[in-house]
Amino acid sequence: MNLRKRLALTRAGIMESLQYRLGTAVTLFANLIYLVLVYFLWRAIYDSAGTDVVNGMTFTDTMIYLILATALFNFLEMFVVWDMSRSIQSGKIILDLLKPMKFRSYTFWSYSGSHVVLFTLTFIPTFVVVMIVTNGAIPMGINLLYFAIATVIALVVNFSMEMIVATICLYTESTWGINIVKETIVLLLSGASIPLAFFPDGFKTVVDYLPFRAVYDIPLTILLEKNGADTIEGILPMFGLQLAWALILTVAGTLFWNHAVRKITVNGG
Amino acid sequence: MNESASVNTLKKPRRGFGFYARIYRKILVQDLKSKMSYRADFVISTIGMIMTNLSGFVTFLILFKNFPSINGWDYHHMLFLYGFSLIALTPVQCFFDNNWNLRFQVQSGDFIKYCFRPINVFFYFMSEVFDVKGLGQLAFGIGTLVYAWVHIGIPVTPLVMLKLVLFLLTASLFMIAIMNAAAATCFWIVGSGYVMVIMFRFKDFAKYPSNIFHGVFRILFTFVIPIAFVAYYPSLSILEADNIPVLTWCAPALGVLFFYLSYKFWMLGVRKYDFTGS
Repeated sequence: MNLRKRLALTRAGIMESLQYRLGTAVTLFANLIYLVLVYFLWRAIYDSAGTDVVNGMTFTDTMIYLILATALFNFLEMFVVWDMSRSIQSGKIILDLLKPMKFRSYTFWSYSGSHVVLFTLTFIPTFVVVMIVTNGAIPMGINLLYFAIATVIALVVNFSMEMIVATICLYTESTWGINIVKETIVLLLSGASIPLAFFPDGFKTVVDYLPFRAVYDIPLTILLEKNGADTIEGILPMFGLQLAWALILTVAGTLFWNHAVRKITVNGG
Repeated sequence: MNESASVNTLKKPRRGFGFYARIYRKILVQDLKSKMSYRADFVISTIGMIMTNLSGFVTFLILFKNFPSINGWDYHHMLFLYGFSLIALTPVQCFFDNNWNLRFQVQSGDFIKYCFRPINVFFYFMSEVFDVKGLGQLAFGIGTLVYAWVHIGIPVTPLVMLKLVLFLLTASLFMIAIMNAAAATCFWIVGSGYVMVIMFRFKDFAKYPSNIFHGVFRILFTFVIPIAFVAYYPSLSILEADNIPVLTWCAPALGVLFFYLSYKFWMLGVRKYDFTGS
């Protein structure tokens, strides 16, 4: 299982996602409009609040956090659940299982191409625009490196969650339902819809230890140097939490998949 | 196609509401029967639907824990708007859910079967799916609306109830129109699913008072992608009964207009599909 094989999958993925240029362009444009909506909403919220800082977050902090969370979401979004259920229905999954590569890593590397494209096309432009518009609100330094590391781990955690949910779908034959449950929980508890800083204390303590935070909140907190993430002592526990969940979810997901794959029933194909 | 359709209309001139209602019931029963064979899916989908609504509710709770009001809208008025939007979104969820399948059917060519029946293509296509899980959303919406209603202390009179029903129907027309138009883009653009996904995401902003938007975007979200009409303007007819804005009065007529336009757009797509033939 050498690296070249994997990078070939990455390249194929890049070419595939560049095929749908119109879709990518429209989605990018719509995201911009969506962000404007988010801006108006939080502008109104902060204007009504009467104070500039709420729970340690200024309006600018909140906006940067939410905009970059949306950009991260667009780049991390995967359709493993849908793809898997479709390939089970069509029988294509048999071909994927027969490939001389573990299914899990085949899926991961197939997606890596679109991750690369989306990172370049959505995340980087958004980041640059935010950087210019807010004029220095994002600290520029070693935190960028830490952010990059945290994002890679976030990608692994996100993929593991997707795989576990997709495996559950093998049993339930319910794709839409399981997927919407996953999406709702992840978006709410990861801080993608409301920054975790606003969560009430008791609730937040629980959420702090859950894996969802590792996907959006930790990379963004590290980037913005909030919550003590401006020192290495503050960052290490965050990396620790991310790595622990990445490990736990990968092992659990692999075991679960190995167990489930024997149960796949393919009708036709 | 057109010729045979007109011949059929000549043979059976009466194609009234009763005729279509009877057909709808028959197709609906078939759909429910086939759904019942995937009971687990039904249960999980319903749970999923309730989860999304709960998450929206939790978002509200967290927001109002930190901020007392949004643009002069307090917690209960916002909940009213939220409940109103959930109810208004039920028809599009229950009766027009098949729009999500349109692009697959068009792409695979299966769509042609709808063109060979002597009934309205749009009606036949939509009647094929009744989405039961929309009812969970309806229940949640009614609960939220009643809770907010009681706390705001709006009097319950026949006139208010009449307004509520009229403006809920109006509001739902706008969302149906948005989704019809979004789905119909697939007749022209291959793999246009993202248009629907985007519109479905914009709908999340229906639950906020749209006077928070300014400038071009206010016009855009009022007249081009009319999410301001999914809850904000219609609900003002009840929340601000003494001072109802002009746009609220225009809402019913605009709703019918938007729906009609989206229907025409959809049918234009069908006609184009006929010509390419696959």
